[in-house]
Amino acid sequence: MEFKQTTLDNGLTVIGEVNPAAASMAAGFFVRTGSRDETPEEAGVSHFLEHMMFKGTARRSAFDVNRDFDEMGASYNAFTSEENTVYYAAVLPEYQDGVVDLLGDMLRPALRQEDFDVEKNVILDEIARYEDTPSYRVYEKAMAQFFAGHPLANSVLGTSESISALRREQMLDYFNRRYSPTNVTVVGVGHFDFDQFVAKVARMCSHWQPYDAPRDVRPAPGRRARNVVTDPKVLREHIVLMSPAPPGQDRARYAAQLVGAVVGDSTGSRLFYALIDPAIADEAHMSYDLLDGSGAFITFLSTDAERSSEAIEIAQAEMKKFQDDGPTEAELQAAKNKIASGSTLKGELPMGRLTAVGFDWVYRKEYVPLGEQIDTLFAVSGEDVWNVARQYDLTASAMLALGPVEKL
Amino acid sequence: MSEQFYTKQLPNGLTLLGQRMEQVSSASMALLVPAGSAYDPPGTEGAAAVAAEWCVRGAGPYDTRQLNDALDALGCQHDENAQSEHISFSTAQLGRNLEKVLEILSEVIRHPHLDERGFLPARGLILQDLASLEDEPARKCNVLLRERFYPMPLGRCVYGKVESLASMQCDDVRRCVRRTFTPSQSILAVAGNIDWNAFCDAAERAFASWPSQTVEAPQPQPAEGGVLHVAKDSAQVHIALACPSVTLSDPRYYAARMAVTVLSGGGGSRLFTEVREKRGLVYHVSTRYHSLKDHAGLFTYAASVPAKARETLQVTVGELRRLSEGIEDSEMARARTQLKSALIMQGESTSARASSLASDWYHLGRLRSLKELSDAIDAVTVDDILAYLRDCPPRDFTFLFIGPEAPDVSGL
Repeated sequence: MEFKQTTLDNGLTVIGEVNPAAASMAAGFFVRTGSRDETPEEAGVSHFLEHMMFKGTARRSAFDVNRDFDEMGASYNAFTSEENTVYYAAVLPEYQDGVVDLLGDMLRPALRQEDFDVEKNVILDEIARYEDTPSYRVYEKAMAQFFAGHPLANSVLGTSESISALRREQMLDYFNRRYSPTNVTVVGVGHFDFDQFVAKVARMCSHWQPYDAPRDVRPAPGRRARNVVTDPKVLREHIVLMSPAPPGQDRARYAAQLVGAVVGDSTGSRLFYALIDPAIADEAHMSYDLLDGSGAFITFLSTDAERSSEAIEIAQAEMKKFQDDGPTEAELQAAKNKIASGSTLKGELPMGRLTAVGFDWVYRKEYVPLGEQIDTLFAVSGEDVWNVARQYDLTASAMLALGPVEKL
Repeated sequence: MSEQFYTKQLPNGLTLLGQRMEQVSSASMALLVPAGSAYDPPGTEGAAAVAAEWCVRGAGPYDTRQLNDALDALGCQHDENAQSEHISFSTAQLGRNLEKVLEILSEVIRHPHLDERGFLPARGLILQDLASLEDEPARKCNVLLRERFYPMPLGRCVYGKVESLASMQCDDVRRCVRRTFTPSQSILAVAGNIDWNAFCDAAERAFASWPSQTVEAPQPQPAEGGVLHVAKDSAQVHIALACPSVTLSDPRYYAARMAVTVLSGGGGSRLFTEVREKRGLVYHVSTRYHSLKDHAGLFTYAASVPAKARETLQVTVGELRRLSEGIEDSEMARARTQLKSALIMQGESTSARASSLASDWYHLGRLRSLKELSDAIDAVTVDDILAYLRDCPPRDFTFLFIGPEAPDVSGL
């Protein structure tokens, strides 16, 4: 395993973790942009633009883009979050040039009006799909509530109104504000030749003109609101609890990850024994969500309507108990072992390694080999973990519930 | 590079399968026990799903908490769930912890406590799983489609029914477990950083005294088929349809897989191009191949806003039918590359390999090498696919719709 890094003259950074023992490679273009970088008038444009990148360039039609991926046998896609937009593909090593040619070309899209109009319908259908998915709706509403007044509250999909009203010129303007080469990291992992990778990236991307692409990174407040959204069409009660957590740049993120695992992992955690084991909820897990300059502990619960207030009380009591007493040594060891073997399993696949290596760079401009990360994790003490819970106040949680219940 | 496969059968009939993978430190296991929901006796539908939950609530020397904590302490990711023909137990951990996890897994299989205290919560979770389907119409649509497409009880919803779960007693599930947890039709596969001999020794210690018995296969009734509309005030109309295909052991299997890949393999496939890219009708449309031991089907799913449901259905079915009119060489070449790349990339994952080994053995009674798969894919011609489509034409669909209204299926 060897790490490589270089920066092109226009500020585009290229990094790679080369593993000659792998059977495949994965490449990704990580753009530091998402819904938090949108104005209210352009809500949903980051995600819509991500779709438009697949609709063709000056030299490729939309069909050409898809066909070229398929011809390489690529496993490919893209995703947009509050603060990242990532385009990626996993291919066999012989296609390393081809995949950079395609991804690099795509990121300077044609944005043709007729493609824009057709794709708008796809986005509206995707919004309709999420309207039928309460577990997504409750997450979006909880984010909006917790981060109210901060750009992190922005919806990734936007609304059917904002998307319907969006014009191509607004998307172009957003693109010209956010897709500077200085705001993009190209990542390769697995079995590939790094020098050849850089040369190909340079051929595709050297002409991209750099400019400033600033982001509002003031700390998010984390509001302790409590709201119930009643929807009789939803059968079960879907609940999100959120509380503040260390920002993605903070070294306390390792301890925060352990807080999440001890309190809310899907097996063997405090919430598991308190809620899943006795079947009070069929879903109860907490995790640490690492954000740019912010962070949050997010807990998801799904319960029968009549047991929802009981489930919330139990979850909050468990958080308080953890904050009062900290983790036991056995819990801490188990959590470390689970995280370590989970990262190892994920790291055995180039696709799994891609996001880990990419986000380490995007958030912290660092590369840490997996073995070293596991060593750091094992060095975290129970005291460190307990401190994070106390310092960020795990009990100060906001609550949002969506479902048939009228009052909680 | 040829794979390092191993097979061994214990005297009681338990099949052990292994693949040693260099360059990984993990090892994954897949254990299939012939206790799937198709074996649930009438009136106790959902028993297999309850059994899968209940088995891990104390076994051998461990109570519930000790069992979970022991697996957690070994960094083991585990999952127990009922499928149609099996209960599947899968675990993933570092190779050095494999034998310790196997020891715990054997207690779960051989000596589950199945005590009363654990029963109500196990059943309660399955009731909640069943209720959760209501908030996931896309998943519900596919569950109901499978139920009506496959001969009863093979496609039955594994969670059973509210009534069958409500009346289910401890002894109903205990009887199922006693009857179906047997080594002779069980398969234990392992892939990754393994020492095969040490694994076999551990498996023998754990399972050699497991007594064997034969589980009688369920007698399937004709499939219900037809059209079902489940009315729901949802934002989308969820559209699912299925038509018969050949099973995994059939010589035409690879032609079927190639047909599905041309139709729905990637962004350049016909369904994605015609339904989503050109017309913007949907966010999601796909066709997937699925096989049980003796029955198989092509399952298509799409969802659109109600005003576009009819057009979505028509264009989708049109593309399924248009396959019979011929396939271009470039489409064949793409489909081959896609299928072969996917195989190589899945070959890097220990858990994907463990479940493939178990599946190969169940369906074929042998393991397929990467070369065999790759050669078989290369050998498929356009004529093979057209012949397959003549044998299994995309018609006589079973339809399932969830939404405010159902599109008209006349003429389809």
